Amino acid sequence: MHKYFQIFKISFQQEFAYRLNFVMWRARNVMQIILTFFLWNTVFYDPSREVFGYNKEKILTYVFGILVLRAIVLSARAVDMAGEIANGDITNYLLKPVSYFKYWFTRDIASKTLNLSFAGVEALILFLILKPNIFLQTDFLMIILFIVSVAIAVTLFFYILFLVNLVTFWMPENGWAAQFLFVVILTEFLSGGAFPIDILPPVLQHILYGLPFPYLLFFPLQVYLGKISGLAIARGILTGGLWIMVLAFLTRIIWPRGLKRYSAEGR
Amino acid sequence: MKIILRYLKIWWLMSRNAFLAVLSQRIGFTIFLIGKILRFSLFFVFIIFLLKGTNSLAGYNLNQTLFFFLTFNLIDTISQFLFREVYRFRPLVVSGSFDLVLTKPVSALFRSLMGGADVIDFVTIPFLIMAVIYIGKLLNPSTLGILYYILLLFNGLILATAFHIAVLALGIITLEIDHTVMIYRDLTALARFPVDIYKEPIKGILTFLIPIGIMITLPAKALMGITSLMGVLWSLGLGGTALFLSLRFWKFALTKYTSASS
Repeated sequence: MHKYFQIFKISFQQEFAYRLNFVMWRARNVMQIILTFFLWNTVFYDPSREVFGYNKEKILTYVFGILVLRAIVLSARAVDMAGEIANGDITNYLLKPVSYFKYWFTRDIASKTLNLSFAGVEALILFLILKPNIFLQTDFLMIILFIVSVAIAVTLFFYILFLVNLVTFWMPENGWAAQFLFVVILTEFLSGGAFPIDILPPVLQHILYGLPFPYLLFFPLQVYLGKISGLAIARGILTGGLWIMVLAFLTRIIWPRGLKRYSAEGR
Repeated sequence: MKIILRYLKIWWLMSRNAFLAVLSQRIGFTIFLIGKILRFSLFFVFIIFLLKGTNSLAGYNLNQTLFFFLTFNLIDTISQFLFREVYRFRPLVVSGSFDLVLTKPVSALFRSLMGGADVIDFVTIPFLIMAVIYIGKLLNPSTLGILYYILLLFNGLILATAFHIAVLALGIITLEIDHTVMIYRDLTALARFPVDIYKEPIKGILTFLIPIGIMITLPAKALMGITSLMGVLWSLGLGGTALFLSLRFWKFALTKYTSASS
């Protein structure tokens, strides 16, 4: 446990080593939120208007929630895994008494901690500038369920990212391509990051709920906003948990096969 | 004329090499292409469902909103197709390999800006043009509107060129390219929808200071017949000024290049 704490500390410090990079990455997040904020602000120009089951207060809370949830769920250092596998740097870790899986999970947590603190400040600044009406969840049980759903989202995203990176064992040149498709495109759109999934027709929504992506951002925010309750929350948590088990099982199968395939190219 | 033909030939050679390099990785090429098509389609579908629920966005109907989105994609895709080499500029400067570019009898700016066209974007451009024509026709534009649109589209590409030159120049000075170019992409993405959705002062900033409104929103508005001749002339003037300033900035940046690590 001590060694992972040290990895956490070093990883945290590393984030500060490339300060300009980090600041620009955060600036990009803010810009994406500005677009989404003004888009929905225009749609709900009349505060009493209700579209897709949202009023102005709830949709703007959704936008701010996305800013914070992105920092918690989607910020990850494990994106660098593909490069390490492709250029042979992974060998360094295989020779050390450290779990590669836990190593990257720890580094992800360090990245999330830093990103969350920045996202909190950004959300506060944007809140003071844009002055939106924000929905505050006061039901203690819903807050607990929201935290549970966020924990599921964090674990789920780590497994998705880890599995996608394992593709590099078989296609060293195309690790980034797989990340582009699954992490940049599919996660962005199907998780509710670009727009709330419930504006889509019910048939499409039902198909999406069978996939792991909506449980990354959309589902936790639905819980926070109180848009779903009781059975729907239980079903969501169960489906998210089930996906974690499926992906964990796949990781256990694919990881040793990838290692067998690995020939330490570049070393 | 002779110089233009020479540079066209060089561009063709460099683009052919870049195409071959990408096509040698067929799986990667296919995945990236699928990803780009998916991103475009999902956003397109989002706009359709959004406008079905709201009927209009900042006073624009579905076809008009789609046309703004298509114009954004057209300018964004063409500039990515032409200027993909910008994304590969940082390693040249960091490693000092930029020396080799500077010593060749070809403009260093031309080589850094257009040295490797993107075949993935090249594949999507014809379909985008067809979509622009199809949705554009549904807006019943006048001949003058079409003329303004084409003119302002070129002006948008000139502004995109100026942005990319500025990113390169900044890269020489700060050694930072990756995030700067992505910030440029995020800024232009703010014009996926008409800039009319933003409130002042953001709307003013996006129109005049970082002229993505002029780059993307204005051409689409011109086709819809809601731009005056004065607006068109003013935009062309801004495009020319931006290009001039970016070239000056590039020349200044070159004086700061230290050839470190070479």
